[in-house]
Amino acid sequence: MTDPQVWISILEQGCFYGLIGLAYLLGLEGTGFFNFAVGSYALVAALMTSWLVSEHGYGVWPALILAVLVAMALAALTELAVVRTIEAKFQHGELPSLVAVAALLFAISQVAGMVFGRVTMPGEPFYSFTPIAVGSAYLTPAVVGVVGVAVVAFAGVSITARTTAFGRALRAVGDNKEASRILGLPVGRVRLIAFAVSGLVAALAGIAYSSQAGVSWDVGLQWALLGFLALVVGGAGSWFGPLVGGILLGFVQEIIELYAGGQDVDYAMLGIALVFFAFWPKGLTSRAVRA
Amino acid sequence: MKSLLPRAPTTAPALIAVAAGALLLLWAGGNAYNLSLLGLLATYSLVGLGMYAPLAWAGSMSLAFSAYAAIGAYSVAVISTKADAPVWVGWIVGAALAVVVALILGAATMRLTGFHLVAITLLFATAFQTWLVSANWLGSSNGIGQIAALSLGWWHPSARALVIGGLALVVLIAIGLDRLRRSSWGVIARALGQAPLAVECCGTRVPRITIVMQCFGAAIAAIGGSFFATDVQGITPVTFTTDLVFLVLFFLILGGTSSPWGALIGAAIAVELTVRATFFASGGGLLLLALAVLVVLLIAPSGILGLLGDARRRLAAPAGRRARLRGDVTR
Repeated sequence: MTDPQVWISILEQGCFYGLIGLAYLLGLEGTGFFNFAVGSYALVAALMTSWLVSEHGYGVWPALILAVLVAMALAALTELAVVRTIEAKFQHGELPSLVAVAALLFAISQVAGMVFGRVTMPGEPFYSFTPIAVGSAYLTPAVVGVVGVAVVAFAGVSITARTTAFGRALRAVGDNKEASRILGLPVGRVRLIAFAVSGLVAALAGIAYSSQAGVSWDVGLQWALLGFLALVVGGAGSWFGPLVGGILLGFVQEIIELYAGGQDVDYAMLGIALVFFAFWPKGLTSRAVRA
Repeated sequence: MKSLLPRAPTTAPALIAVAAGALLLLWAGGNAYNLSLLGLLATYSLVGLGMYAPLAWAGSMSLAFSAYAAIGAYSVAVISTKADAPVWVGWIVGAALAVVVALILGAATMRLTGFHLVAITLLFATAFQTWLVSANWLGSSNGIGQIAALSLGWWHPSARALVIGGLALVVLIAIGLDRLRRSSWGVIARALGQAPLAVECCGTRVPRITIVMQCFGAAIAAIGGSFFATDVQGITPVTFTTDLVFLVLFFLILGGTSSPWGALIGAAIAVELTVRATFFASGGGLLLLALAVLVVLLIAPSGILGLLGDARRRLAAPAGRRARLRGDVTR
């Protein structure tokens, strides 16, 4: 625990889970819908960037921009083609939504596996540099990438939600969709943008995180589950809730890996989920007043 | 709500299932590969029937069923190879163990529904899979092989007889679930998914009845796992990944959840797409199932059973009404 490198790993893991949690929260705020497919947006973006760079000789930035645009398009398409139709068709009950997002997550992951290959691919850092020494620890491009994306994304979303017309509209739609519609707010457009931004956040998180350990076509579900857990643990009451939850999950994961073993992480995550769902279902942060 | 009211039981679906099973057995003949496909069909159908009641009646989407099937399969393997006991003992132990695990998991997640239940049961299935891979006494990632063949006293069923028994078990369980669905208990169970508050107000404890359904389903899924291990005579952890539970979920929705027979239709499609159709190899079958589920949800939410029911009603309707129905469709 005294090794600073462990704390850097905690920060990296925590920021990644937090970012996936933030992607959930954006969709949740707009539609009240936990979009499990965010894991597959992150996966597609990471795989596509790596595939374009290593198999087709693209530069990192053009590949990254293309991959992010594809992930955003997938997210927007989810809102247009799936969420809206399911909402219109089924007025009550969560089951159709649950099945739809599970099918979507699976379909996107399988297509990604077919197109980009079912092998682990090396990730691509946003910017390559020699690891920076900080005391006895090192900051790698992956760590800087994930933490940098987290700082920009959380600060950006938080400021946008508080100070811009779109942010206020998003919160209004999240509070009461029907009232917002009656008052003339462009509910459909607000939700579509929220989903696209959710895709953007997930894509950047996936690309940045995969530059450390690579990415395989079948990790979408795992990322989706851990991001969901980060949101539940941190709470949906604050935009920074998923980051708090993510850091806690990262801390537990690193400690378990350090003192027990890799396989015990899965048991610990299940334990955390059981404890939080039972005793703190609203998570660590809560919003008493939507101001 | 009208759909909750019990209708007169009909034997037609059971007779159709028996006839389809007989035709499939004729097609398989003594071919070992074809029999293995029918064995897989019976396994998928059993796991699907296990997941059917909590999903279709209570609207409870627990995704721990891959773990329950694994419990059934590993019970058979352990009982047979480590305890030298007859395979059928493993079937009973597996079902009992799965009920106990479902009871504990159900109690721990009693108040959870929707996305939270999905997440926690998936985390459970993942943790269980990790445990299977890391447990040396269960053969770790190699699993357990050389499971003894099933013997019932003096009778040692052949591979063909075992498959016939498996398919018969599937039909019997489907008939049982169909009867249960129409019973007064079944009406309450189905009301859970549509109006849980009303059920609670009538004095029925919703969480308790949901746990009962989970346990019941877990036992059926464990029997599916036991059948698989008995049929294949070996088992590895990769057979019971979360892919299995998603596959079952997708084929249940595709087949239709208005009655247990949808699980059998869905299982047959799943075997065809994921094993037989070589064009869809390497996960393509699962992709097609996931896409088909999306299409079904968006266009025909009641699945293939619903489409068949619509077609039957149209054919049975008098000419004038049929014309109106056609007009409705055109509009």
